[in-house]
Amino acid sequence: MYYIHAIQSMNNSDVFKQEDIHQKLVEVSENPTLVTPDFKTYIAPTALRRLSPILRMGITLAKEVQAAVDQPFDAISVGTGLGCLTDTEKFLNVIYTVEGDVLSPTAFIQSTHNTIAGQISLDLGNHSYNMTHTQNNLSFEMALIDGMLCCEEGSKNVLVGAADESIEFLNKLKPSVFDSETLFTTSATFLAISADKMESSIAILACKTIANAAEISVETNAFLAAFGLSLEQINCFVLNTNELETPANSEVFHIDDQLGFNQSSSAFAVHVAHDFLKSSTKEFALIVNRSSNNYLGLILLKNDKTHN
Amino acid sequence: MSELKENLKAQIIEQLNLEDLTPSDIKNEAPLFGDEGLGLDSIDALEFIVLLDVNYGIKISDPSDAREIFHSIDSLASFIESQK
Repeated sequence: MYYIHAIQSMNNSDVFKQEDIHQKLVEVSENPTLVTPDFKTYIAPTALRRLSPILRMGITLAKEVQAAVDQPFDAISVGTGLGCLTDTEKFLNVIYTVEGDVLSPTAFIQSTHNTIAGQISLDLGNHSYNMTHTQNNLSFEMALIDGMLCCEEGSKNVLVGAADESIEFLNKLKPSVFDSETLFTTSATFLAISADKMESSIAILACKTIANAAEISVETNAFLAAFGLSLEQINCFVLNTNELETPANSEVFHIDDQLGFNQSSSAFAVHVAHDFLKSSTKEFALIVNRSSNNYLGLILLKNDKTHN
Repeated sequence: MSELKENLKAQIIEQLNLEDLTPSDIKNEAPLFGDEGLGLDSIDALEFIVLLDVNYGIKISDPSDAREIFHSIDSLASFIESQK
């Protein structure tokens, strides 16, 4: 098991540095606005001026999580579905509009692949392993699996997270690229995990990604059966699909009601499930992350507080 | 020359995202780089090269000249004038 020692999120709900966020969720509005702290209290002005929202969120959340665990990270693993869109759009606009032989370096540097984990490492002064995973809406799951493997290899304190930002151009791509009626939003969640229990009682039991998952119920039951569990034993579901029939006595959170369309939503789903379990005596929570291209992500959380 | 300097200040603020500054905050003779001035760094120097190319059609042919040219608003303006 991989214990969650600290977790923080930022999105269109007021969740940053809040507890029991499962009780504070707000439905996504027609004009979702990112709720942020004053980034200047976390990031030096000289660095802040270059950072787009996705990087500001990532660095701020990473610093808050590191402060909570009070030790540097042995590894940093981040997922993002679409990456640094603000900088990518800016860079592409410069290519098409500016006449000249040279292009602005900042937008190029920050539209490249490993920007998020790399910038977090730079800002924290962390020289250990860092990686940014990009796998559509399963990017967080991939980053989490990487983080869990780092724990298996001996890392004691691993930062795992996911971040995605919305730009107006995304709405022009619907429905040809994104088969979604919901709004695009900006969201990020970061957590510190470790194989050591310490004071934490909420653990990630397993994370699985499945391509071409035809029947959610079949895949989910098979995933749970590996731990001797069935759907009826899951106390809390955080999901983005109506395809799975959940038990009548379970707590159900539809994450897209809060986040709209965001390819890092499963990371925030972990935060919701974490806070639900932490504030209760319930034992299991399941995150079900389904996408229109038949990808399926499953993350199982256990409350170790009262059920050893 | 004073109009050129004011334009340069506005362009630098926009290009380098110095959103907390106004042109009047940048002194003509003050160093742009290092702790004593605006605190700009090597990436900003690259942005200056782009700014000169795009806005004034000037290329820095010898990078070793950049330190002197980019020292202050005064030195930047003098260099641009000398290239006309």
